[in-house]
Amino acid sequence: MKESVAVETLLQGTAEIRFTHPDDFREWVRQHKRREMVEKLMTEREAISRYVADGDYIAYDFSSLTRGPQTLVREIIRQRRKDLWVCAEFTLHETALLVGGGCASRIDVGFLGYGSYIGRAVSEGRVRVFDWTNGALAARMLAGARGIPFMPLRNLLGTDTLRHSGARVVHDPFTGDPVCLVPALNPDVFLVHVHQADAFGNARIFGTNLFALEAAMAARKVIVSAEEIVDPLEFRKDPSRTTIPYFLVDAVVHLPFGAYPAGVQARYELDLEHIDKLNAIQTEEQMQAYLAEYVYGIQDHADFLDRKVGWRKLQELVRRATIREGYH
Amino acid sequence: MGQMVEFSDTECMICTAARLLEDRKTVFVGWGMPQLVAMLAERLYTPNLVQVFEFGAIGPQGLIPFVRGTMGGPTNVYRSLQWSNMNWAFAYAATGYVDYGMIGAAQIDAYGNVNSTMLGGTYERPARRFPGSGGGNEVASLCWRTILVMKHEPRRFVERLDFMTSPGYLNGPGGREKAGLPRATGPWRVVTSKALFGFDEETKRLTLLGVLKGLSPAAVLEGMEFRPRVTDSLEEISPPREEELRVLREQIDPSGIVIRGEKMQAER
Repeated sequence: MKESVAVETLLQGTAEIRFTHPDDFREWVRQHKRREMVEKLMTEREAISRYVADGDYIAYDFSSLTRGPQTLVREIIRQRRKDLWVCAEFTLHETALLVGGGCASRIDVGFLGYGSYIGRAVSEGRVRVFDWTNGALAARMLAGARGIPFMPLRNLLGTDTLRHSGARVVHDPFTGDPVCLVPALNPDVFLVHVHQADAFGNARIFGTNLFALEAAMAARKVIVSAEEIVDPLEFRKDPSRTTIPYFLVDAVVHLPFGAYPAGVQARYELDLEHIDKLNAIQTEEQMQAYLAEYVYGIQDHADFLDRKVGWRKLQELVRRATIREGYH
Repeated sequence: MGQMVEFSDTECMICTAARLLEDRKTVFVGWGMPQLVAMLAERLYTPNLVQVFEFGAIGPQGLIPFVRGTMGGPTNVYRSLQWSNMNWAFAYAATGYVDYGMIGAAQIDAYGNVNSTMLGGTYERPARRFPGSGGGNEVASLCWRTILVMKHEPRRFVERLDFMTSPGYLNGPGGREKAGLPRATGPWRVVTSKALFGFDEETKRLTLLGVLKGLSPAAVLEGMEFRPRVTDSLEEISPPREEELRVLREQIDPSGIVIRGEKMQAER
């Protein structure tokens, strides 16, 4: 082993980063995260108004077409939050809607989908983007979840993506090779839509995820919306299937069809017709018309399902979710 | 004389790429067209190909028809060997378990470096903004051999990328190792709708390996900003075969959402 020497930074990306010292995050957890089992059920309006503030950094799981926390995102827009910094990992229309609603001012990009509207917003400077990669953002979340300041990676190296990210390159003290360091990410808010939760916040996801546990551990405030609320005893009877334990969670919102127009595995399929409506948004007028109809013009989730989707459509989407194996 | 066959440029790319995959190997599959390539290969050529997806599906036997846009939906992850998450999916590639990677590109240069982030203007105010890396940078950095799939447009082959999203051989031989990327990795093939390219062992520069039946190398390379090397043993690429088109059109993408494109024809 080499003697300890000051590590020389070979290269430093230019992006602004949201960074929290691990001790400051621990202090937040000590003061704000409740260890006692208390019921955290509330409405989406209450959850967003209590736990999402202007200027917050927000992240979510999973994808725009599967299990995305769409109702919670619509509620953020309805409450007209401002100046959010969005972790755009695996995301298509949520980020475009947040930009359209004037909620987002900065985006960390893993994958920034749904081209023309968001592309124009970037070109016009209405929103600032910082390029990372899906893997780098997931690794940043893992570092945030582990209480360590960074994660070393063997990719990003050599590219413009690195130069425009907030990563650094140093000589790895073990191999002597250049290695990429990505800073821990501790979002202010993590939104996740799950299959099942109990009133305390224990939660289960069936199927794959991006970084559900990592982000729930790394975030200061965690809002879980759930297709189904189950008895807490269900978790104790089958603990190997717990995705997120209760003490990470601040709010639980019971939102059946809460991922619509995305699907939830084994519950309902995505609504491609509505997704096409989102795809078709190119101009500011189209965006504002969409938001007026589907976000500002409705009361809450139940009102949205009643008036904008309807029982027949919901039943059709449920009927189409024929693949059940693995999701229980 | 053979018969003339009609197909789209997208179909041609998908079929050529599907013939490159190797059975009983692992492949990291990117979003969109690579998903269709893997589905076609699995059905016709490589039934034991193990697909790895960035969101943590390991070894799925995806159901068809392909649901457009899906990445992680129930048909996409059907009958996987493991459902995991992103940090672990990329860890399989980082530790050397993934033989091939397959991703798309908007622009490439002579060393197989890839742009999928932006075109024109400045970084802050690009003329056109694309989705960015997604998992492309991880795939191109960490898999043993990367296959790039791209529409054949000469303007996409540039001397200097507007933005280097994912690494090819960077600035030439030894560039990847010097930058700290895993040893002995890099781009292996570039599949377009008219040609197949590899990389010269010594110079690591793009090399024309094959052209679609009926086309000349000169016609294929015309208009590119740099001049790829042409191999001595140029191969003739068969246009999409009847069986490939049947499976693609009838089973995988019957609505034609992904496989539609510019019309092409060739003699079979």
